[in-house]
Amino acid sequence: MKKIVYLIVCSMLVLTACEDLDQAPDNIASSDSLTNFGGVLNAAYYYQQAAATPMAVMGDFRADNMEMREAPYTDFHTFNSNLTTSMGDQFFAPIYRNLYKSILSANNVIENSTDDTQIAEAKFLRALSYFKLVIVFGDVTVNLSAAPSTTDTSILVRQPKEEVYNTVIIPDLTDAIAVLDNSEISNGRASQLAAQALLGKVYATMGNYPNAEAFLGDVISNASSAGVTLVSDFSEVLDDGNSEIIFATQKSTTISDEYDFSEFTVWYGGFEDKALLPLNPDLITAFDDAGDTTRKDLTIDDDPTQLKSVKRNLGLESDWIEIRLSDVILLYAEAINENGSDTAANTLALLDDIRTRAGLGSLSGSATTQDEVRKAILDERRLELAFEGQRWFDLVRTGAVDAEMGQTINSNYYVFPIPISEINSSDGVITQNAGY
Amino acid sequence: MNVKFKLTTLVALVFSTFVFAQETYMLNGTVTSESDSMPIPGANIIVVNTTRGATTDFDGKFQIEVKNGEVLQVSYVGYATQSVTINNQQDLNIVLKEGNSLDEVVIVGYGTRKKIHNTGAIAQVKGKEVAAIQANRVDDALAGKLSGVLIQNQSGEPGADPKIQIRAAASVTGDSNPLIVVDGYPISGNLATVNPNDIESVEVLKDAASAAIYGSRGANGVILVTTKKGRTGKTTFSYNTFYSISSKYRDNILPTGREWDNTIERNVNNGSWDLSGLDQDILALRREMYRNAPDQVAVEDWLFQNGYTMNHDFSMSGGSESVNYFASMGYQDTEGIAITQGFERFNARLNLDAKLGDKFKTGLNVNGFASRRDVLAHGQRDLLRAYSIHPIFHTEASIAFVQQLDQQAQAIGLNPFDGGFSGGNADSETPMNASIYTLQPGDYAHDWHYGRNGLFGGSSNQGPAAKLLERDRYETTYFVNLSTYLQYSIIDGLDIRTVLGADLRDTKQYFHALSQADRRGEIARTSLDETNTKRSSILSETTLSYNKVIGKHDISAVVGFEFQNFYTTAIATNGTNLPNDDILNYNLLTQESIVVTERDETIARNSVFGRVQYAYDNRYLFSASLRRDGDSRFGANQRYANFPAVSLGWNMHNEAFWNSETLSTVKLRVSTGSLGTTAFLGAYNSLSLLNPSATAFGTGYLIPDDIENADLTWQTNTETNFGIDLGFLNNRFRLSVDYYTSDIEDMLISQSVSEVLGTAAINKNIGDLRSSGLEFELGALVMQKGDFTWSMNANLSTVETEITDLGDLDALPDEQFGVSGRGPVFRNYVGGEIGEMWGLETTAVVPTGELEDPTLSPNNTSGYSYVVDQNGDGEINEDDYVKIGQNTPDFYWGMSHNLRYKNFDVSMQFQGAQGGEVYNLDPLYFESQWGRSLRSDFDANDDGIADENGLFYDRNRDQTDHGIQDASYIALRNLTIGYTFNSDLISSIGLNSVRAYVAATNLFYIMGSDYTGYNPEGIKNFDGGGDTYKGPTTFGVQEGASPIVRSFTFGLNVNF
Repeated sequence: MKKIVYLIVCSMLVLTACEDLDQAPDNIASSDSLTNFGGVLNAAYYYQQAAATPMAVMGDFRADNMEMREAPYTDFHTFNSNLTTSMGDQFFAPIYRNLYKSILSANNVIENSTDDTQIAEAKFLRALSYFKLVIVFGDVTVNLSAAPSTTDTSILVRQPKEEVYNTVIIPDLTDAIAVLDNSEISNGRASQLAAQALLGKVYATMGNYPNAEAFLGDVISNASSAGVTLVSDFSEVLDDGNSEIIFATQKSTTISDEYDFSEFTVWYGGFEDKALLPLNPDLITAFDDAGDTTRKDLTIDDDPTQLKSVKRNLGLESDWIEIRLSDVILLYAEAINENGSDTAANTLALLDDIRTRAGLGSLSGSATTQDEVRKAILDERRLELAFEGQRWFDLVRTGAVDAEMGQTINSNYYVFPIPISEINSSDGVITQNAGY
Repeated sequence: MNVKFKLTTLVALVFSTFVFAQETYMLNGTVTSESDSMPIPGANIIVVNTTRGATTDFDGKFQIEVKNGEVLQVSYVGYATQSVTINNQQDLNIVLKEGNSLDEVVIVGYGTRKKIHNTGAIAQVKGKEVAAIQANRVDDALAGKLSGVLIQNQSGEPGADPKIQIRAAASVTGDSNPLIVVDGYPISGNLATVNPNDIESVEVLKDAASAAIYGSRGANGVILVTTKKGRTGKTTFSYNTFYSISSKYRDNILPTGREWDNTIERNVNNGSWDLSGLDQDILALRREMYRNAPDQVAVEDWLFQNGYTMNHDFSMSGGSESVNYFASMGYQDTEGIAITQGFERFNARLNLDAKLGDKFKTGLNVNGFASRRDVLAHGQRDLLRAYSIHPIFHTEASIAFVQQLDQQAQAIGLNPFDGGFSGGNADSETPMNASIYTLQPGDYAHDWHYGRNGLFGGSSNQGPAAKLLERDRYETTYFVNLSTYLQYSIIDGLDIRTVLGADLRDTKQYFHALSQADRRGEIARTSLDETNTKRSSILSETTLSYNKVIGKHDISAVVGFEFQNFYTTAIATNGTNLPNDDILNYNLLTQESIVVTERDETIARNSVFGRVQYAYDNRYLFSASLRRDGDSRFGANQRYANFPAVSLGWNMHNEAFWNSETLSTVKLRVSTGSLGTTAFLGAYNSLSLLNPSATAFGTGYLIPDDIENADLTWQTNTETNFGIDLGFLNNRFRLSVDYYTSDIEDMLISQSVSEVLGTAAINKNIGDLRSSGLEFELGALVMQKGDFTWSMNANLSTVETEITDLGDLDALPDEQFGVSGRGPVFRNYVGGEIGEMWGLETTAVVPTGELEDPTLSPNNTSGYSYVVDQNGDGEINEDDYVKIGQNTPDFYWGMSHNLRYKNFDVSMQFQGAQGGEVYNLDPLYFESQWGRSLRSDFDANDDGIADENGLFYDRNRDQTDHGIQDASYIALRNLTIGYTFNSDLISSIGLNSVRAYVAATNLFYIMGSDYTGYNPEGIKNFDGGGDTYKGPTTFGVQEGASPIVRSFTFGLNVNF
């Protein structure tokens, strides 16, 4: 009996088993266990997805192509500080957050990968992220580290945008051009051509038109050998994987991105409750003034009960085109005009392929002065690139905001407000843009 | 066995019965408590050395067969056992002693302690107090009963958990939920897992010294629940049932179209609104619509209803010398006060204890339930935001009206109503209400059917019924807690005990949204979501305890070790693109439309602990404990920590020199102890783990949510408690006062950081928070005269907090918490309280008449207020913010009365809180904002200054005190009036006792005068609109709070 008791009491102690405090999950990877950084590079691509809709809304709704209909979304059309609080969560914070996540992922690849192509792609994506940040927010924080300090807030100080262009975007794109080729262009990955096109656009945005002309010219001459050509039918310019695309951010309904609100196709298509009948009548006028019926019919529905985009009626699978050949051609013409590199007639003749496709005649001869040509190219961009998130940034780049918007807009509002949480969490080290 | 033997036995039996019949008789008795003369239900009566026994009914009455010379033993937990020798008494009144009773115990962690030896701040509520009032759950029954325990009904939804906060917030980030220990087993759920009818007693360990034995889990306080056990004696049965009808407390907070037109009329007539500049044709048509649209239904009247609760509980208990049992089953079915809400639960419990010989004891507790909770599938705030200008479902009349209205509108040059709405989307099989000309009676009515493009500023959203009824959200839970123990008495007073147990919880959260939940009927916006979560918590624990009284020395000690493992596995399946609305099945979805997310987490914890309790001569009291905890959540360098506690007490009234009848009890207590908390930490917050996710080019490793921190460690809470217990006039009046200070060091903070770092917040240990509070508890036997007794208890508590240190920082980053930029800025800074709400001070609202068109939307206000430029720099910005509110009340209180006259009993429970504020977001939505704009001459140069009076103005939706409302309240939480039927009558139909009662909850509920919502206790504590809820640092914003519920109940308690 005594033995049994002894046995039971001992087993009571044994029943109480010690737990291992080193716990880690089996189904998630730990960051220091990686050897191939391809997955991290994929993440850098992935985060671009969440930037698409904010770029679309800022590019077309802030400008004169589209209109919000319901408060507080109508704050996009009042050029004051109201946007800061009302639209921050839905547009500015997601684009800011995701672009910096893309940058961190890219930094990780650049720091740790041993694969040159991976590094070059990462540099392209990092440059693309910073370019978007600069045109949206102006001066921005620059982080080039995969593991930035969590305690040193001085690294968060916003750097002048010229600095960002010169020390980050241009060197990254230059490196990417040197390493990348165009073999993966049809698979949607970054390519040499995309880096050249983006660098050209960057220089144009900086106002450095001579360099822009050089790189954009390279794109135009290299395009066809890379398999990039204008599609013959304007109705196909936004189709996924069409031959005109130089670089697009791939979207898919099966890949849930970190943008939780209505996607750009919904906004353009007039399906978003906040912007029913979203078409700005000014764009109808623009098509009519240009006598542009083909592109008008393929771009907008001007029935008073519809007033929306038909160009973007491609569903949620539709990719976000970052840069396509038409955009490059128009930018190239813009650079030629600004540089005075060629006659007005020859400059406008550069647009002929695009206009022919639209069923329109050449503009060559219709304008003579540099100003007139500039205006003609800007108008062409509006009709060709409507609903591609370009218009507002075109107006700012070409200095045409007041003229085109028909009102005097304080240049503070050429950029958008930094998310309030950034100013709060950095204790003011990150500052708000003037006017917001 | 032969026939002869059988016959003999039979004769002997008959004979013996005959013998007993001569001597035994039926004794009637009552058991009452000495302190308040209240009857004690459930007291145990046994006839010593026999198997006869009885239990008292709700009236404290019992009946038992006795004969002269036998000894009755009467016992009840917390009271001194009393013996009475039978000597022909016919009626027996037994008064059990408590208070000074030497045997009364309180449950402390891993043991008990005599109440007179208790040195901590421990509040106790007896099961009979829980049972005396009708309550759907234990927390409801406790509300207002305990000092230092704030129980807040954040939601009136059936099955919703209240917030329980014991003393000051123990954590700056994270929740305040105390640890719940049921019968010695720390459960992983909350009090919802316990059936109120099963409760024997509830103890709340408030001070750190008492809770320190639970170490890291005790920082938010500990609630110890003891459930009923069977007692030796005959089996008793109990059946309790009630039926409640409930409705929301407050009505009519929003106008219908007709009421809005009256408002327009009034403002035009008194000259407040000048509408002469408006298009008069449109104005006339709009007002015609407001006034004459047929079949208008107030959204509020549609959404809310009378709910009901039906409850049945059945229990039985009993036992022999060696085995005792208590078993219960319950069923509850509730339909909420808002349509689609409901809660249904089955629960069962078995408590089994057995003695195996002299040395061994063993027991098994099983508690489980199955429940289903249906919640509003769409936010209440958004449902109520729809305008009450139309029916919920179209009628012949309303269809004819909108079609005619459209024609009239087009005749005066407005867009057709269908504009922008018609057609639905290409991928929709059933474009809903594609045109107002295809409407059928019974179709959902939407604002746009009434001409929201141009005619009035309505919502483009679908109507409220489409939002709600096309969605479904529910949660089912299966919970079981099994625990078993084995105890061996090594020598007298020295026991070893092992507990082994598990909590298993299986929940399914379900949600679907059918095509018409989206205004466009887009199937891309349909969804079918299911999250299946399985959690287990396995605990093993062995303690060695020693209890001995040697002369005047009362010694008890316990040492033990404990291991616990929490495992969570979850699969979330999110589907979209539902092919039809009829059959919802993942098999019908395309593979691309289904996303599966998995979760797999383990938390492990190891602990050793020990405690010594000592009392000398019932005068000098001492207790000390130490616990060492290790937890896998912390950084590899910092997993273990020690938590010591010590407390002292002095029963001054037991000193020889004390001789006062007036001041019959004087006890001084002081304690100090430290506790750790893991706060909000998840299983792997100290690690930096990449999240694999599908991307366009294959697997992507996404940015980790956490930044690795090997030094992440315990937050330590050191609390010191001073207490005094006084009793007057033989303890007829009792007063306890406790004062505590609490210092939280190495606060675990989820600190917001710039998103440049790839995450919105990082977890850190920084800073120091100091809180203090004063608690009063008063008990009195107010009156006792003949058949009438009246006793009362009251309590009042204060809490103050101050952040005293934040490491290198003066302030945590400002947090703006609310919805889409609405809501205050929360500031947490050195020298301030936790979670101060800051914003602009407003002086007056800008009159609605300043709007370009004040008639545009029902319930319009200007949406602007005049604000104060605090620093006078001519600009309104965050430098002008002032503190506009704080949610923690200055004090909160409770008061209960128990009255008894003959067969009637009355109990009342009052509860209140004073001095807290909420930021109520709802008015910002209800005071319409669609299409609203100020007159252009209000501020012609757009400089933020009103031209006519030179005052600064700002939008209410920005950070202003416009949303701040008083959250104070005074409530009669419960009023119960019971009647116990005469026992003669009852026993004649074979029952022991029957009590019937009626009860009302929240019979009156007084809200602050500027409070405009449904529930001042309601708090938004979930993330929304991009803002992250961070616990006490962002506490106080309210959105769509489910209403305070008033209910009337009829109930029956039957014992047999």
